[in-house]
Amino acid sequence: MENKLIYSSSPHIKSPRTTRKIMLDVCVALLPATIIGIIYFGLYALLLVALSVISAVVGEYVYLLAAGKSFKEITENFDFSSVITGLLIGLTIGTNYPFYAPIFGSLFAIIAVKMLFGGTGKNIVNPAIAGRIFMFISFQWAVGAVWLVPSIGSIYGETVATSATAVVDVSKGVVPNISLLDMLLGTGMQGCIGETCKVALLIGGIYLACRRVINLVYPLIFIALTGFATVVICGFDFSMFLPSILSGGLILGAIFMATDYTTTPNTKAGNIIYFAFLGILLAVLRYATKMETVSFAILLMNLVVPLIDKFILNKPFGYKKSQKTKGAKL
Amino acid sequence: MKTNFKKIAKDGLITSNPTLKLVLGTCPTLALTTAAMNGIGMGLAVTFVLICSNVIISLLKRAIPKEVRIPAFILVIATFVTIVRLALDYFLPDIYESLGLYLPLIVVNCIILARAESFASKNGVLASATDGLFMGIGFTLALTTMGAVREILGSGAIFGYKLWGFSIGFFSSSAGAFFTYAMFILLFALITDKAAEKSRIKKSAKIGDFTQTKEAK
Repeated sequence: MENKLIYSSSPHIKSPRTTRKIMLDVCVALLPATIIGIIYFGLYALLLVALSVISAVVGEYVYLLAAGKSFKEITENFDFSSVITGLLIGLTIGTNYPFYAPIFGSLFAIIAVKMLFGGTGKNIVNPAIAGRIFMFISFQWAVGAVWLVPSIGSIYGETVATSATAVVDVSKGVVPNISLLDMLLGTGMQGCIGETCKVALLIGGIYLACRRVINLVYPLIFIALTGFATVVICGFDFSMFLPSILSGGLILGAIFMATDYTTTPNTKAGNIIYFAFLGILLAVLRYATKMETVSFAILLMNLVVPLIDKFILNKPFGYKKSQKTKGAKL
Repeated sequence: MKTNFKKIAKDGLITSNPTLKLVLGTCPTLALTTAAMNGIGMGLAVTFVLICSNVIISLLKRAIPKEVRIPAFILVIATFVTIVRLALDYFLPDIYESLGLYLPLIVVNCIILARAESFASKNGVLASATDGLFMGIGFTLALTTMGAVREILGSGAIFGYKLWGFSIGFFSSSAGAFFTYAMFILLFALITDKAAEKSRIKKSAKIGDFTQTKEAK
């Protein structure tokens, strides 16, 4: 307050939007899905989500305290990104997971994936995705092979109903006998806590778009291309379009996980390429592995982001392609 | 020339620990540390080959022409690897089975070749043998602790003895191997750096004490 003159390099424009505010917006956007998930899956879902959020925040505090920061300093600079990571980890597991799974997942995500790389904005992959895959690999023995049995082996892996009759195989091109409305509302389906009710997720996505936190075009590219690629893989069977979009964790992943600022390219063209490849990769992976692969597709594409940023650059203002070098090459 | 055996031992175990400081022999480290027993088996096999090849190469260091030294080293190493393979196959078939392909691959293990090239071909027989012994022990210790950590976390057991039903499958997968390896390198670097810093401060404090007392006077 005493120093009214500020010496600093550009940018000089100040905005009231801080990382903390943006992250709080994302938290709010995730609330509908969380609440509906708890309504659908009961109090155990609440326990899982709460444990994952708490352990994510505690993990960040413990790491920073160990790095020699004071408690007050951490609380002042606390952006809510670890809350989001915890929420997403809680929402992407099913209620058949043991209660300690989200604790380990959150700690792995926050400490190994985020803090060791330098904290918010420096991670090379989305921490929530990494945490989810960590749990997926680690606790299969406790979950049982509910999501992995080859007989479930469908693109609808995670959200397919428990009864064997609903099991579908994309390679046979069979449409599941769950109605599309059920898929949209998430009623009568098995799946992760947060991903079943598509309407709640879409409400969150629209909220984020209205608050200008994310550009809704990019997730839509991802979702639409997944549908089209699935249609093409299934031999132009257009009845697969909607089921492939509405099943699994696609909408959750597209709106909340793939759009993470740090793990998306910087340019418009780069973003379009990133999300388009995500869609195609997801459809191909689902077809090839016969299980839900949203998180793996996003993880793989996250690793490609630095390459996209290297080769696709914004044209500097007033840039002209030099004629000389062209002539020299010829 | 007097050989500093203490320094050789410290080099092998800590300052240039082949696994955690030089990051050599990564392939068996990542692939075999799913169980602590594998670490001991692999480590002892490598130690044996390392000592023997170091002794022979240091004896032959004047006889081997510089231009063809690598093939000559490989020939010596391969001889001992064959001995180890045949002996393990006969006496400890279980370990032979679990080490599998990585046993013949000791021939091209970077640690052995690196020690032959950078130490045994320049030093005396006794020094080379000591170097081989401590490098081997350093490798064995690193592999065994890594194997123990991964076995406890990844399958809830130690040396094949089941501790509890709880396990984190990530640590027995190959991704977990890279993760554990990185964490081990990180922790080892942290500890050794801190120890080095401490001994440096101790040294400077001795000099500082002297000047301080002088000033006080």
